[in-house]
Amino acid sequence: MITHELIERIEGEAVLDFKTDTSGAVQDVTIRFLHFRGMEAILEGRNALDALVITPRVCGICGHSHLIATVTMIENIYRNAGATIRISDKANAIRQITLSCELIQNHIKWLYLVMLHESGKMVGEEPTVALKALYVSAQVNQLCALFSGQWPHSSYALPGGVTCDPTHIEVMQALKILSEVERFICDEVLGCDTDAFSESIIQNALLSLTGDLGTVLRNFERLGVLEQGKSHGRFLVLGETQEIIVDSERSEASLDNVGEDSSQTFAEGGNTYAKNALYNGEFFETGPLARALVQERTGISTLHRLYGDSAVTRITARVDEMVSLCAHVRELLTLLDLSEPSFIPPPSIESISGEGIGIVEAPRGSLIHRARIEKGKIISYSIITPTQWNLGNGTATTPGIAQKAMIGAESIAKASLIFRTFDVCSVCTTH
Amino acid sequence: MNTPSPKTSIMPSNPAKLQIIWLQGITCNGNTHSFLNDPSLETILESVELLHHPLLPCTFTLRELVQKLPKSDVLVFEGAYKGDFERAGMAMEALLNALASKTKHIISMGSCASFGGIFKEASPELISGILFDKEHESGPLRVMREKVITLSGCPVHPKWLSFVIDMIHHGKFIAVDEYRRPKELYAYLVHNGCLRNEYFEWKVDSDTFGTKEGCLFYAQGCQGPMTHGSCNKILWNEVSSKTRSGAPCVGCTEPTFPKRELFSTKTYMSIPADMPLGIPKRSYLALAGAAKSFHIKRLEERLIDDNA
Repeated sequence: MITHELIERIEGEAVLDFKTDTSGAVQDVTIRFLHFRGMEAILEGRNALDALVITPRVCGICGHSHLIATVTMIENIYRNAGATIRISDKANAIRQITLSCELIQNHIKWLYLVMLHESGKMVGEEPTVALKALYVSAQVNQLCALFSGQWPHSSYALPGGVTCDPTHIEVMQALKILSEVERFICDEVLGCDTDAFSESIIQNALLSLTGDLGTVLRNFERLGVLEQGKSHGRFLVLGETQEIIVDSERSEASLDNVGEDSSQTFAEGGNTYAKNALYNGEFFETGPLARALVQERTGISTLHRLYGDSAVTRITARVDEMVSLCAHVRELLTLLDLSEPSFIPPPSIESISGEGIGIVEAPRGSLIHRARIEKGKIISYSIITPTQWNLGNGTATTPGIAQKAMIGAESIAKASLIFRTFDVCSVCTTH
Repeated sequence: MNTPSPKTSIMPSNPAKLQIIWLQGITCNGNTHSFLNDPSLETILESVELLHHPLLPCTFTLRELVQKLPKSDVLVFEGAYKGDFERAGMAMEALLNALASKTKHIISMGSCASFGGIFKEASPELISGILFDKEHESGPLRVMREKVITLSGCPVHPKWLSFVIDMIHHGKFIAVDEYRRPKELYAYLVHNGCLRNEYFEWKVDSDTFGTKEGCLFYAQGCQGPMTHGSCNKILWNEVSSKTRSGAPCVGCTEPTFPKRELFSTKTYMSIPADMPLGIPKRSYLALAGAAKSFHIKRLEERLIDDNA
């Protein structure tokens, strides 16, 4: 039997076409995204710096990641063209602070608006609107705005640094907000301090956590899907470091192996706007779980050994990343040397011709921007978003990452819940 | 005298909850996420019933919304309009018209919904705002223009939306400009309240980005003096704004957004080609000439030496 399921309350919508057997179990599923906006074409012919304003508008929840990908890409074009461009440690640190804020607020919204809400509904305990989570995600965005001027849709990072020139007033305010966010994570999300959380992973005691993460995991346990949702066990991280993991073996990744496959798109006679992103012709999972495994964070590596890439590991990895990013932001704020320049003017963009690439670890994984410019004007622009890696469509024998995780689920509802563990974003996938 | 005044006794102390439908056209969800930043979200949500919302718990799923096409008090439309763009299998031409004709107030949420915005660029002949297409009042809802309140901006500040919801909820009259934007929000320019105003007055240019000093209007492309919006009155995320973080205003509330060459000022004989709003070029030149003839030492130095 074929059922078309409209998945809402993600970023945008997706349609899942399920093929089920007589018991209702999922035999196959196709993921379709029906909206397309043509961002890359909008950029062509413009001044390359205009991309710093246009690309954040790819996505309302991860636009800052697009900004950082664009600025990194333009700086790479400068270097490839043989021009000198320098970024101070301060500017780099500020970019990392604001980017980390975007990841943290994303993960909070996903945990409460999507995971807690949808799993709660399925066990008959639909929670009320998670105002406390929205309040704290707004706090995180405020921390970001102390440097970026606003969230969403800031354009404060330029080739050569950042536009802001903060004082200790902003740094002190940021540290206070960060303390509130950390308190929220301990008191509400985990129900314990971060050391006890790490210990509970190692002791295999996550289900006893008293916070909202514990509730989500217990909901999954009650539904019998906590250890389901396994995929290929292939992971990829291209921002910061470039590595892949296949069968728990880490190796260096090469960008030459990254490709896009448009065989399933409308243009090629298929039924989605999304192109698949592939590494060496194969599907790889990107995002918080991949990052945790590449960074060898103890808790998540332990969980992965015990439960593979199942729902429990994928969910906990995203929450664990909030904890680790808060610590990272605290360190960056504490070490920030305000006496360094915010911006070191590079040669004029009109003097630059060439190609470049910018890769950022966005909330959902590796985000790639590439462009070719001629005397500062964009000739071509290409974006590969994290969700193109995770939500691609393969065939029944070689399914995509989320496809494989859903196949075999007992019901369409359970498969749809597993789909949401990937933090689905349709606006990014089709841009 | 302890008797309540007649005025207080007829004031409705607890108006009925506003029924709101939040519908999306071609969008990035930026206005949805911007609205979630409102620190008074809890209070706002107490006064409304969300019949449909893309992220928050609500009465109808998208599929139910399209099947029932319910009446509402307020229709919030986010994103650009294209007639054949579908939500839950229904073309926007039919869906928007049905929901708009059954609502009392329509809020055009963001510059895409208001004028076409960034997403119009992909297909300029097919994509527009719901009431305006750039500056022209030729959108699909022109027959219902009196019901439309335009909130332009990319994104809209959350407090701009909560202000309009409050005004509707309390039955108050909203004075609007030529694009049906509330004057209380858009009569100001982004320039008003900018921390660099003194540099603008004395024509002291910022030589570069990344400093606290100098005005960004002369070389860095700032459109603050020509852009309507209370960004420097009602601060972003409660704490800042583009110009306060050293970034030029990109004119995102205007029908012309997005212009080109957003980080440099087009000049003619080293005078900005676009004048501050409503200022005749002759007046500007007279004032600029006088201001530039003085050297104000304080404005040519770093603001905080230790941090230089």
